[in-house]
Amino acid sequence: MAVESAVQKSLEVPQTTKRRWHLSRSNRKALWFYFFQSPWLLGIIFLTIIPIVGGLVISMTNYDGINLATTKFVGLKNYLRMLDDKQGILAFMRTLVFVSINVPLGMFLSFSLALVLNQSVRGRGVFRTVYYLPTLVPIVAVAWIFKLFLASKNGPLNGFIGLFRPGTEIVWIGQANALATVTSMAMWMTFGTGMVIFLAGLQGIPPELEEAAVVDGANRFQVFRNVTIPLMTPVIFFQLVLSLIYTFQELLRPVLLWSSRGMEGTPSKPVYMMMIHVYREIFTFGRFGYGTAVLWFNFIVMMGLALLVFWSQKYWVYYTEAVEGKKE
Amino acid sequence: MTAEPMTVALRRTPRWRKIFNTVLSYVLLLAIAVFVLLPIVWGLDISLKQEGEYSANPIKWLPRVPHWINYVHVFTYQAFLKHARNSVVLSVVFSALTVITSSMSGFAFSRIPVPGREKLFRVVIALIIIPYLVTVIPQFMLFSRLKLTNTYWPWVLWGLSASPFHIFLFRQFFSAIPRELEDAAEVDGASPFRIFWQIFLPNAKPALATSFILNFIWVWGDYLTPILYLNDRITTLAVKLQSAYSDPHGNTLVTVVIAASVLYTLPLIVMFFLAQKHILQGVVTSGLKG
Repeated sequence: MAVESAVQKSLEVPQTTKRRWHLSRSNRKALWFYFFQSPWLLGIIFLTIIPIVGGLVISMTNYDGINLATTKFVGLKNYLRMLDDKQGILAFMRTLVFVSINVPLGMFLSFSLALVLNQSVRGRGVFRTVYYLPTLVPIVAVAWIFKLFLASKNGPLNGFIGLFRPGTEIVWIGQANALATVTSMAMWMTFGTGMVIFLAGLQGIPPELEEAAVVDGANRFQVFRNVTIPLMTPVIFFQLVLSLIYTFQELLRPVLLWSSRGMEGTPSKPVYMMMIHVYREIFTFGRFGYGTAVLWFNFIVMMGLALLVFWSQKYWVYYTEAVEGKKE
Repeated sequence: MTAEPMTVALRRTPRWRKIFNTVLSYVLLLAIAVFVLLPIVWGLDISLKQEGEYSANPIKWLPRVPHWINYVHVFTYQAFLKHARNSVVLSVVFSALTVITSSMSGFAFSRIPVPGREKLFRVVIALIIIPYLVTVIPQFMLFSRLKLTNTYWPWVLWGLSASPFHIFLFRQFFSAIPRELEDAAEVDGASPFRIFWQIFLPNAKPALATSFILNFIWVWGDYLTPILYLNDRITTLAVKLQSAYSDPHGNTLVTVVIAASVLYTLPLIVMFFLAQKHILQGVVTSGLKG
């Protein structure tokens, strides 16, 4: 607030050139600061705040995406309607299931691989590069490869299983295996990033700390439990928040796997998740008002989860000062 | 100092345990490497097969002769190059603008001390967790009202509005540049913008390249925004690739589509290998999720 009024003042100043030189130093700094921040600040206002608030407004109307003339304010009706939307409620539950499988699995996979790579293995650089490669492949290409790789007829995965069990035609992209298939695809595409970040975190741990614990008679597990993990908690925390938010928004993987043209695909039930429902309500059925209401509901849930994790920080995340304090 | 604890550690683990652990590590690492590489290798394999070989039963693992013609069909069956050009234009415009605006913001956060700066920076961090779709969908409604759909303007506006991850990346990078550099310039009366433009940017080439490439990878691979915003004529490779290669009956030409996917992915792999060290460093600094 003080800064804003400072900027205001410095904007008013140039009327008298003399005074400008008196006031300037700090005000000119503020002016430059906001000059450098202006593209970003304008972007936040027009491309983030206005759309989000605008979305809230739309969610209280019956907007169909075309006619503004027939658009009416309907209050909380769209939000109440969610209670009757069986498909939507199921989609929400499935999203929770998907998140509670994918987030821990992804974190575990990338963290344990980072641990293994952090030992003195030969070819660490090569492994790190190989593991990072999938994150570079665009989602459309990945979807194509997975679709064909998992094809029930002539797909190489079934072909491989067929070597032991001739005539295998497992439908990977279908109701029964949907969750496993989408989870594998998600893991394949994303674990590399987490691993690179965890590995960097592990390599940033000063070796003296772990050595000191060994001297004090700690075994490998104790060192890991009482030195490595606490020092890694800030990184784990950050990855946890990001991966919660990203996983909650799962949309393209199921749609592309189940679609042969554009966004037309309707994924099988186990992976028909919240954002897919939102997308279809808005763009397939033109129910913009209702769709944005569902979107807003999810926004609130996601922010709630993120806040919960933020709040839980004080119980399990150790920042360096705290660790340093303990050491003494 | 450090040598002694190490010998203690060595004595505590028997030799056979160490060998066992090493073997176990390599088995695990190789297994994951296979999981990662198998779809990629298989994609390369199928892009060289004939259509008949691909659907042969029982399965044929390798093409009899490499069928390079698939890569020619990529260009002759569809205007691959035209859509590749669209992708390049969007990615370059967006990335260049984001790099400039994010580095400006990062510079101010690291070098211009004003009251309230830390609070504003906390806003940047908080924005990282705003879910992407929550802004994208209402934005689309806004842009279509403004008649900006089916143009490249949204990418220009997105680029101009910088990105929290990259602001973070530049702030970290600039904070590591020693103060002496700008002190001299400041004494000479250079404006902050000149200091930024003539001293900081030329010294930030690795960060600039990293940020540019990370942004480029994102736009190049993005599917959702082009399919929402752009019509078939001006759309990007991502959208085209998903539905374009099919025979008159609507059956996908599998081998050609995969060959096209290989060509579509190749530029990103090349870029990554050209600047691998910096990119991985950038991913670590910004915590950017792929």
